[in-house]
Order: sequence, then C-alpha cells, then structure tokens
Amino acid sequence: MPLTTPADPAILERLPDPVMVVSAGAREHPGERRIAFANAAARDTFRLKSEGQPLVSAIRHPKVLEAVEASLFDDAEHEVAYDAVGAQDRHWLVLSRPLGDGRAVVIFRDQTDARRSERLRADFLANASHELRTPLASLTGFIETLRGHAKDDPAARDHFLTIMHVQADRMARLIDDLLSLSRIELNEHIPPDGEVDLASATADVISSLAPQIEERQVTVDFVPPASGVTVDGDRDQIVQVIQNLVDNAVKYTPPGGTVRIELAADQTLDSVTAPRVEGAGRQSLLTPDHDGAARYVAIRVADEGPGVARQHLPRLSERFYRAPGQKSGERSGTGLGLAIVKHIMNRHRGGLAVESAEGQGAAFTAFFPALS
Amino acid sequence: MSEHILRSFDEDLGHLTAEVARMGGLAEAQIADALDCVLRRDVRLAEKVKAGDRTLDELDADIERKAIRVIALRQPMADDLRHAVAAMKISSNLERIGDLAKNIAKRSLVLAGSEAATPLSRSIDRLGRLVAARLKEVLDAYTASDVDRAVAVWTRDEEIDSHYDSLFRELLTYMMGDPKMITPGAHLLFIAKNLERIGDHATNIAEIIHYEMTGEPLGADRPKVDSVTP
Repeated sequence: MPLTTPADPAILERLPDPVMVVSAGAREHPGERRIAFANAAARDTFRLKSEGQPLVSAIRHPKVLEAVEASLFDDAEHEVAYDAVGAQDRHWLVLSRPLGDGRAVVIFRDQTDARRSERLRADFLANASHELRTPLASLTGFIETLRGHAKDDPAARDHFLTIMHVQADRMARLIDDLLSLSRIELNEHIPPDGEVDLASATADVISSLAPQIEERQVTVDFVPPASGVTVDGDRDQIVQVIQNLVDNAVKYTPPGGTVRIELAADQTLDSVTAPRVEGAGRQSLLTPDHDGAARYVAIRVADEGPGVARQHLPRLSERFYRAPGQKSGERSGTGLGLAIVKHIMNRHRGGLAVESAEGQGAAFTAFFPALS
Repeated sequence: MSEHILRSFDEDLGHLTAEVARMGGLAEAQIADALDCVLRRDVRLAEKVKAGDRTLDELDADIERKAIRVIALRQPMADDLRHAVAAMKISSNLERIGDLAKNIAKRSLVLAGSEAATPLSRSIDRLGRLVAARLKEVLDAYTASDVDRAVAVWTRDEEIDSHYDSLFRELLTYMMGDPKMITPGAHLLFIAKNLERIGDHATNIAEIIHYEMTGEPLGADRPKVDSVTP
C-alpha cells in the first residue's frame, strides 16, 4: 500500500490527543463554525454532545477561535497555547491546520505535565526556603548559646539540645511533607486507577493511630457500614487522607472526648455538603467539577476540640495557615496536612468540606466519586 | 411560515447564542490576563486588557442590536422571546465583567511601584481563580442549555463571598501591621472587591439562564455570608 493512502477514520478516532475537524460556514457568522468531526479524546475532553455542534459551544478562548478562523479562511497554520480552568488545571497547545476544502483540522496537545513540573519546582523551593528559615535560625541561635555562656552548664546544655532535636525533627518532617505534596501535585491531573474499600482503610488508620489515641485518652467512634463504600482510588493516598483527618481530630479533642467517624454512600453533591450542625459555619474547601448525575461516598471526621470561627474557615487548607487562637501545642504540625488532603481529593475528583463553630469542634467531610 | 423563513429564524437565534458565547470567552480571557497583571505587573499586558475591553463594548452593542432585530422582525413567542432577551441581559453582564477586569489591570500597574507581599498576591490569585471557574461554569451551562449547572453556580455563590471576606481580613491585618503596606493594601482591597463583583455578575448570568430555560425566576434570597458589611 502506498504511504500516502488516506488514513482509515478509525485511526483518528483512537488517537490519544483530542482532534477535531471544523467546517467554515459564512465568514461573517462565527456561529456557523461547526465541529464536523471529533475523535473520542475530543468528545471526552470537551464534553461534546451532538454532531455538528457549533465550535464556540465547546471552545470559547478567543485566541483559539482566531487561529481556527485563520486556517479556515486564510489558509494559515497556527499554534496557540492556552490554560483551561477547572478543578484540575490543564495547559493546552492547539495546532490549527487548513484542510483546503472549507475545513480545518484542530489538534490539542496536553502540555500540563511540562508546565506543572516547572511550577512545582519553583513553588517547592520557595516554600522550603521560607519555612525552613525559622527552625534553622532557632538552631543557629542555640548553637551560639551552647558555644557561649551555656558551655559549662550541663543542665542548660541538656535543655537546649532537646529543643534543638525537636527543631531538627520538625525540619525533617517539613521536608517530607513538602516532597509528599509536590509528588501529589505532579500527578494531580492523572486520575488514579485501583479500588479502595473506605471502611477497611479507615479501620487500618484507626489501628495505626492506637498509640496516640490511647495517649490522648480519647475514644474513636466508628461503625463501618456493611457495604457500598468502595471507590476508585489510590490506596496509599486515601489512607493518607483518612490518617491526616483522624490524626488532627485526635490532636484537637480534649482527654475524655470522642472522635466520630462516619461513612456514607450514594450521596449527591448537595446531600454531602448539606449543613448538619445548627448555627455552625460551613465551607467548601474543594468542589469537584459539576456533574448532575454524580454520586459520592463520604467520610466525615468530627472532633470535640475548640472549633474554628467562620472567618477562618476558607483558608484552612492553605499551606502553613494557622487559624489564630489555636493552642500553641498544636504547632508541632507542619501546617501542610490539610493541603495534602485537598490535593489528594482533587486528584480523586472528589471534594472536601468543613463545618465548625467556635467552641463546638470541627467536622471534616472528604467525598469520593462512587465506583463507576 | 415557509420552511425557509423558519430555518433562517433558527439561524438568527443560533447566531445570537454563538455571539454571546464568544463574548463570554473574551471576558474570561480578560479576567485571566488581569490576574496575570496583578501577579506580574506587566504594563504591555495591561494595555492589551484595556484594548480588549473596547472589543467587549462593541460586542455588547452588536448583540443588543441583533437581539432587538430578531424581536422586531420575527416577533418571537415564549422560549424564543426569552432566549433573545436573555442574550441581551447576559451580554450586558459580560460587558460589566470586562470593565471590572480592565479596572483590575489598571490598578495592578499602580501596584507596580510598590512591594506587595507574595502571600497577598497568592490570596488574590486564589480568589481570582475561584471567580474565573465560576464564570466558566455558568458560560458552559449557557452553551449546553443546562439549567442544573446554572443553578449549581447560583447556590455556590457564598463560597466566593467567604473567600472575599477572608481576603479582606488578611489585607486589613497587613495594613495594620505595617504603614508601608497601607497604599498597596488599599489597591488590593479594590482589586478584591472587583473580583467579588465579577462573581456576582456570574451569579446574575445563572439567574438569567434559569429564567430563560424555565420561565421562572430563581428563589428570592441567595444565602449571603458577607460578615464584613452589615
């Protein structure tokens, strides 16, 4: 077969990059540019519904529309880069080429990986240098003191060395968490494959936290439902989410108190974010892209701690954010726990919400799309 | 009416939809560029946003003209009439959004003279991205004629309010802590307010879509969580 035989349409259909063929219509009516053909990747990415739908109903970005018009009417090839906004950001490179017969072919190349790596590297360096500066300064200070007037004082030496140990530990945990967060963000746009039973994951987390639970003298109240709580996901990451939430709840609940964990299946977006506590502030920390038919499985972890005032709720999942007024003992954390939870939930196309009022504890709900 | 006239009528309505969608795309690009201006203080980008705003104004006038023409010539009923009216109202909201984006870009140039703290820029960026996502959602709802999506945007308006609240407090804290921060802080306050207004316009568009598709207005009171202003 000669090399220039026209390709079998099935080949276009199976290409991993979204590909569209656009027909021109009259030059003065942009509404007449129609999608004559879209392969599976394009139909999926742009949620295309019907044959021949207007181009502008799928893509509105002015630069892309201009590029396609230039290919349709001026026989020109164009390349445009644009960012798609959504729960998971994507960066696209769009190539538009004339086909010569009043049609153009438009190819989309996903550049998210490359752009993402760059940005994450820069973010990581900025975060690391900023957050490590303080414990490092503290260590340096103590070293100076130990060489200076605490040189011959064994009691002071012991005391300072203990503090230095704590600071060094803190820096190590900070780097671990930052690397963890970086790794999660790198793959955030790639959905996980695998199935996880939330009930068994929760039970595992509770066992692993047994020492802390006993030390803090709190009770953990968890009754796993019989079934229906399996979700698509990465087990290690889901365990990390549950662990971060339960660990926080245990830390903030006073001795003698109870941490309540609930699992609920077959929830809609509305039911899973519905308020449960009268008068409490409620904040969505992560909302998945809208899908009317979606059903979710939720895990809700409620503590009996001091709670968080409404005005501090929106920033809870911000890196290193500390709501003012929290007990200073809690400063042993790295400040990244909730940010890690948020990014993992985003990768899983789920959501995260918090409900809290001052003096009434806090309840975090993480919800995953139900098994497809 | 002959089939020829019917088809042309549908085409007219279809063109209106496409024009509104295109205008929406331009408004979205303006917001993205304006936010970039705040982060990067790029003078040329700010000029581009100002020029883009003139295009938005022209599109608004154009859509109004086309919609009035359809109503006058075709005397549409029910859905079709609501469709033409909705196109005009949405286009007017998009034009206001464009103005707000232009103001943000202009103010970012004033900021260019001072050192604004990075955490503040990040918080503004976060609010900006939330608002941009909201507008995208509502415009997607419009082009897909998906009333549920539009209602979802309307319901979640409080999310933007609470982020705005939070940002307001953050800015006040910075300004109170350091007098050098007062000038840039005041500009950032205006930028934040502009973003919150864009969010309001996106919610208005959601209400218009609901009315267009169902003939009924959305509920009277949207949950409001702005505790900064009484």
